[in-house]
Amino acid sequence: MSYAYLFKYIIIGDTGVGKSCLLLQFTDKRFQPVHDLTIGVEFGARMITIDSKQIKLQIWDTAGQEAFRSITRSYYRGAAGALLVYDITRRETFNHLTTWLDDARQHSNSNMVIMLIGNKSDLESRREVKKEEGEAFAREHGLVFMETSAKTAANVEEAFINTAKEIYEKIQEGVFDINNEANGIKIGPQHSPTNPSLPGSGSSGGSQGSGCC
Amino acid sequence: METSDSEYFESADEELYSDSDDEYVGKGPKKCINIIERKLSNANISEDSIVKDRVCDNFEINSDVDDLKTEIDPKSDDNTLVNKEKNDEVSNIKSDTIKKEKNDNIQVKEHEKFEKTNTESLSQSNQEKVVESNSKDLKDGPIPTALDLEENMWDNEDIDDLISNNDETNRNTKYDNEKQDLKTDEIKNINEVNSNTLINKEPENEQGDSNLIAPQDDPASNSNEENMWEDNEDWNSFSTTKKEPDTIKQPVIDTSDTAKNIGTKNPKDVNTWDGWDNDDWETLEKTETSQKDETKPETSWSGWGNWGVSSILTTATQGVSTLTNQVSQGFTTVLETGIGIPDPKELAKQDRIIEEHINESEGNRGNLGFGFSNFVSGVSHLTKFVENTGTKVITGGLDTLETIGKKTMEVLQEGDPGLKNKRALLKLDKEKPTLSQMLREAKERSETDNQILKEENYKKKINYETLFDDYHGLVHLEALEMLSKQCDIKLQTLSDNCTGKEYQDLQETMDQIKELCELPDEEDEEVLLFSDIKEKIQTAVNDIKVKITYDKLFSTCEESENWLNTLKLDFCDETDIHREALQVLAQITAIAVEQFHKCGELLLIKEQRSTADEADSLVQLTMAVTSLISLVAANFSKKLNAILTQTENKDSISELITNVFFEASNSSSYVQDAFQLLIPVLQVGAI
Repeated sequence: MSYAYLFKYIIIGDTGVGKSCLLLQFTDKRFQPVHDLTIGVEFGARMITIDSKQIKLQIWDTAGQEAFRSITRSYYRGAAGALLVYDITRRETFNHLTTWLDDARQHSNSNMVIMLIGNKSDLESRREVKKEEGEAFAREHGLVFMETSAKTAANVEEAFINTAKEIYEKIQEGVFDINNEANGIKIGPQHSPTNPSLPGSGSSGGSQGSGCC
Repeated sequence: METSDSEYFESADEELYSDSDDEYVGKGPKKCINIIERKLSNANISEDSIVKDRVCDNFEINSDVDDLKTEIDPKSDDNTLVNKEKNDEVSNIKSDTIKKEKNDNIQVKEHEKFEKTNTESLSQSNQEKVVESNSKDLKDGPIPTALDLEENMWDNEDIDDLISNNDETNRNTKYDNEKQDLKTDEIKNINEVNSNTLINKEPENEQGDSNLIAPQDDPASNSNEENMWEDNEDWNSFSTTKKEPDTIKQPVIDTSDTAKNIGTKNPKDVNTWDGWDNDDWETLEKTETSQKDETKPETSWSGWGNWGVSSILTTATQGVSTLTNQVSQGFTTVLETGIGIPDPKELAKQDRIIEEHINESEGNRGNLGFGFSNFVSGVSHLTKFVENTGTKVITGGLDTLETIGKKTMEVLQEGDPGLKNKRALLKLDKEKPTLSQMLREAKERSETDNQILKEENYKKKINYETLFDDYHGLVHLEALEMLSKQCDIKLQTLSDNCTGKEYQDLQETMDQIKELCELPDEEDEEVLLFSDIKEKIQTAVNDIKVKITYDKLFSTCEESENWLNTLKLDFCDETDIHREALQVLAQITAIAVEQFHKCGELLLIKEQRSTADEADSLVQLTMAVTSLISLVAANFSKKLNAILTQTENKDSISELITNVFFEASNSSSYVQDAFQLLIPVLQVGAI
């Protein structure tokens, strides 16, 4: 699938807040109640359309475990957007946000769009962090805020797409230098890439006589 | 476009009505007035002797016109005032006479009323809503300020009418000097009648002209065609303003007149106040009956005699029936010509024919005798006039329809002159293909498009890079690269901090690890079985002592082997095999790279490092994976070779085989690259 742009996203946050489930909901539209612990980083990708342009979102779903912290930090580089996720039913995940935010800001480019996500909004009865608190934190740190539920898929699409829209706007404004891949944006292949080794394409013409063996 | 359109209509209407205007504005009403006067005086004769005398005088033509003119010529208000004053001045009139006069007035009023109702009710049928009571009501109530302009305009026109009216009276009436006083009164009454009738008539004509033909003439009314419906309001306002002169005059006459008029007005008339309604046609009938009703009580009145009732009735009904006929005729012509566009010229012709017809019948009637014929012609004039306005209204309505129709056509014809395209769309010309044919063609086209798309998709899909990317091979490689760089940086900072022997030791260790990671040349071309490779990989993974799994890789390989074994060569396309080969290769490579990546991450967080073992295991792993890739490629090329022997198209198949081997080596290099990226990770562990 050809695309106009490729945006690199990272999903960060404490372990067990539902980062991998958010990704699975977004890419596969399904929910897995029991998820293996993520090792290092996992990947997901999906095409979206913004302003009638095909944009490929390449999402780096990082491990939340403290052990992988040093490794995952190395993956922040070159991300255009970040989803900073906490669990509304676990206060400590909210309390750790500042650390994650500092990490993200330190290891990525300053233009990175960060969206704060309060996940597990379906578990209202077990809520420990009020929506207002999340809003306040986002306001304070200049983030976009949203409460999502990977289980019910509520706001999941919006979270990813709104972030992409914000990045796209920044591109339009000229904030992002799309030619610098460190910004996490790649320009898609203008034409479908031609494989020189493909039959019919020029390079393989010489092998006709020689055969295979 | 709009302006030109309106202009068109204007001119058409002008054409239409130019004749009738002359006739009705000029000749018609005057005649009419004349007749009414006479008729009224006739009626008076039969009622009262004094009146009789007085009226008889009317028939004598007096040359004493100038005298009167000076009195009457001033504006209407003044005129009435003068009349009033004159009335007051009359000293030799006894109270009896006055009473009689009053009576007389009432009588006159009766006729007047009859005349009025005649015109009014008929004009109502023309959507004019000239209802006496309405005007009266309006007179009492506040007149809408919006109408003021129009009122003024109409006042002026009314004055003009009055003047001409008075001239008319002067010409037709002869006044005795002895009965000057009475005469002034008479004149007043006649004026009253004239003004009433004229007011009722003239504005109708004017309305018909100004509203239907040239709405722009009316300053208050919108010149915009689209606002045609608003004209209704204008009409209403006309009818109200029309009453203005009436109301001014009213006090001069008897107040009982007002009451009477109110009393006699048809309550149905009020209902017809709203503009364009079908009810209007109903009111035609209603007014007909109301006319009869009103005429009947008058029969008991001695003044009317035997001739009056029946003749009035017959003429009235005649007139109405003619009108009805005309209306229905108009409708049928409209229907016949189609709802679309009635030709204005046609309508004009029709109008003229009808007029001629009326004139003829009038001429015939004229032979019937003196007062009677006059009266009849008077009534027929009225009816004719009403008919005419009726037709005008109809044509006005038709004009509106025409405008709508024209507009529609314009919109339809926009960028499509002659509606050729639209006709072609709707009617399916003979030369044009039928719908089914078009659909068939469209289907064929889409099929060929699909074919091309499929081919393009195939080319795209079997692009190895894309496949590898789809399996997240590239991104894992990228992440591994980042990880490797991170380790390199770490090593660099470490070695920068080291000095002397420390640094030398560090360099030695790193070089040793590098040596350990040297991949042996693939000299031994021994063909390994899948089971052997699987075993090798499993041993290697276990030796690394990190929790990585190549199960996915194995299952993929097994699946591909199964696919190849169950493959029926007779029913299989070589491209299918090629695609499958590339897919399997890309997937295996992606899994291998992913596992190398995972391995690197896990090694970095591993507590106890044994770099030498790790390096050896990884070398073994890499070797096993590359041999697996070779095996898979060999399996697929075997199948392709099998097809090669059966088919004529050898060239393309050998190309495919070459491609499979090419991508296999590509896969191997990816795996080896991944392994090379792990060296810094191993080095970091060693230090």
